[in-house]
Amino acid sequence: MSEPIRILFVDDEERILRSLALQFRRDYQVLTESDPRRALQRLKSEPVHIIVSDQRMPQMSGAELLAQAQQIAPDTLRILLTGYSDLDAAVEALNSGGIFRYLTKPWDQQEMAFTLRQAAQIAARQLQVTSAPVVLSQDALSVLLLDEEAPTFDVVSGFCAAHGHRLLRAQSLNEAVALLNSQPVDLVVSDLQVAGEDVSPLLKSLAQAHPRLLSLVVTPFSDTQSLLKLINEAQIFRYLPKPIRRGLFEKGLQAAVEQAQLWRAQPAQVVTRLAQPPRDEHDREKVGSLMGMLGRLRERLTA
Amino acid sequence: MTTASALARLLKPVAPLSALMSIADVADRLLTPEHKAFLSLPIVDDAGKPLGLVSRSTLQDIFMQRFGRDLRGRHPVEEVMNPAPLVVSLETNLEEAAKQITAQLQYPITEDFILVDAEGLYRGLGTVLDLLKAMEARIAQRNQVLRKALVDLKESQTQLVQSEKMASLGQMVAGVAHELNTPLGYVTNNVQLLRELSAPLFELADAQAALGDCLSDPGCDEARLAEALETAAEARAKAAPELLVEDFTQLFSDTLYGLEQIAELVVGLKDFARLDRAMSEEVDLNECIRSALVIARNGIKDKAETILQLGDLPRMPCAPSQINQVLLNLLNNAAQAIEGFGQIVVKTWADESAVFISVRDTGRGMTAEVLARIFDPFFTTKPVGEGTGLGLSISYKIIQDHGGQIRAVSEPGRGTRFLIRLPRPQALPLQRSA
Repeated sequence: MSEPIRILFVDDEERILRSLALQFRRDYQVLTESDPRRALQRLKSEPVHIIVSDQRMPQMSGAELLAQAQQIAPDTLRILLTGYSDLDAAVEALNSGGIFRYLTKPWDQQEMAFTLRQAAQIAARQLQVTSAPVVLSQDALSVLLLDEEAPTFDVVSGFCAAHGHRLLRAQSLNEAVALLNSQPVDLVVSDLQVAGEDVSPLLKSLAQAHPRLLSLVVTPFSDTQSLLKLINEAQIFRYLPKPIRRGLFEKGLQAAVEQAQLWRAQPAQVVTRLAQPPRDEHDREKVGSLMGMLGRLRERLTA
Repeated sequence: MTTASALARLLKPVAPLSALMSIADVADRLLTPEHKAFLSLPIVDDAGKPLGLVSRSTLQDIFMQRFGRDLRGRHPVEEVMNPAPLVVSLETNLEEAAKQITAQLQYPITEDFILVDAEGLYRGLGTVLDLLKAMEARIAQRNQVLRKALVDLKESQTQLVQSEKMASLGQMVAGVAHELNTPLGYVTNNVQLLRELSAPLFELADAQAALGDCLSDPGCDEARLAEALETAAEARAKAAPELLVEDFTQLFSDTLYGLEQIAELVVGLKDFARLDRAMSEEVDLNECIRSALVIARNGIKDKAETILQLGDLPRMPCAPSQINQVLLNLLNNAAQAIEGFGQIVVKTWADESAVFISVRDTGRGMTAEVLARIFDPFFTTKPVGEGTGLGLSISYKIIQDHGGQIRAVSEPGRGTRFLIRLPRPQALPLQRSA
């Protein structure tokens, strides 16, 4: 590695910062800030490849910091490290901070090291690619909808019609897999339950099989633990609670389209999507078998 | 039907009189033993419809006049009857009947009332006294029902208070559990780091021990000595103990600090988790405030800066777990009232008669209408499902039970201040000097 990877840790508890700095000082260039406002200043003035932030801080929340960080330095990988399992914070950090991982305190040393290694790999890949100005592709995209509910369909079909994107619909996991194998798909909009089946293993498989495909989850469920898994293991793009709010939903779709078009125009190395393998044994099996079922999709992508 | 039959039970089957019966005969009838209990006698027409009542007092008035009986005794009774008597249908329920009768009753009571059936035909007489007795029995019965309802209500209120306490306790435990994660995070990591960092030190110790052995062993040759020296030097370079000193010192002191934090949180929880109302003689209220803050910290930290202005306070007899509950409630409310980032100022002081605790926030404040109701049970400005509306009413009750007062002043947009006054126990200087 020619340029050292620079990680900025932000936490209002100095002891957390000292502990993390000591853990990672040998592998990375570690920077620390106990005040998120100073962290933002720093992002403006020096390169930072990975930012790891606490959630609850007196000056501003971690989700807020990461959202602003995304504006200032969009290439910086953003990770939330928090002792609170707080659904609202997780949703905000994902939807407006575009976080790479949501980690919890107390953290597992190995897991934290593994996550940072993954992030550092992406960062290193990004560094190798000369950031030539990209011409955003304006191609029409294909959107796969896995939700039978009328309000979701109305918004998605309206959005596709207005912007000239192709809408595909599936009513079960099998139909979805068949479509994914036979057709190019850029965005998946899905509930977590479709025809009584859990969709999250499919989303986790897709994150591994097809990193450029973005998934938006619309769901009435609000369980922090499953959201955390969707962030870390499926790397979902948006999490939108039902009943859906049209404006928010459309903005999410638009952002996903822009991201997909950007990735289309860029070399594969720049795609910052790298999901964590599922931790749960049962999940791993399901993802494994789905990966098999998605064989043709994978063939097509590698071809 | 039970109420209708209640009226039927009052019915006395008195034989009615005809309108043409003479006044003298009516008077004789009134004197017979079976009619002694009645103030009046009914008069009905041929069809059985009531025409009126003739009262004992009317006849007495006539007969008290000079030659009254002689002059009017032969006249038909209809001349002196009350043509508009109280007529109550047997279909009427007891309460309705009582209402009708009391509305028309005149003092002194000189008549009974006529009971008729659904067709309006005479069935018998009822006396006001019997009606009163029936009503009294009914009221006693109602009272019993009410008393039971009151007992039930009190019980469910106790349950509500308990569930409010459990809810706030649960919230607090969840908050503290999360709060524990921060020190737990760095303490765990530090211990693992210490283990990793200390491994080369053990290797160094081994290498130096081997070198020492070689030096004290006359049989150790040059080559082995040179090797031992080199190993020891390598281990020393690898371990770099002089560089570790600073790291170790820092890691140990942070770890110890973290453990203290954890211990403090656990002790705080223990103080709060007590559901009893045990009174304690010597409570340091400033200490209560500090431990309430430890517990409330997770809710306050990102909302407000807390400023403590704690004065010297005498130790007070009170139930610390209850006072803690009040303080926690006030601190949480203060934090929730703040939009953005604000201040919470907790101040204590004492005078000869009482101890004062003030909790002031720079939150959104309350209108006079809201302020007037904050201590009412079930009053809440939070969305449904987020607050029981019992927090402040329970706080009010707790302070009241301690013989104190709790008051609030508020200004929309400026903030709110709660003031608790707890009276000091009567000082006993004589006892002390004795």
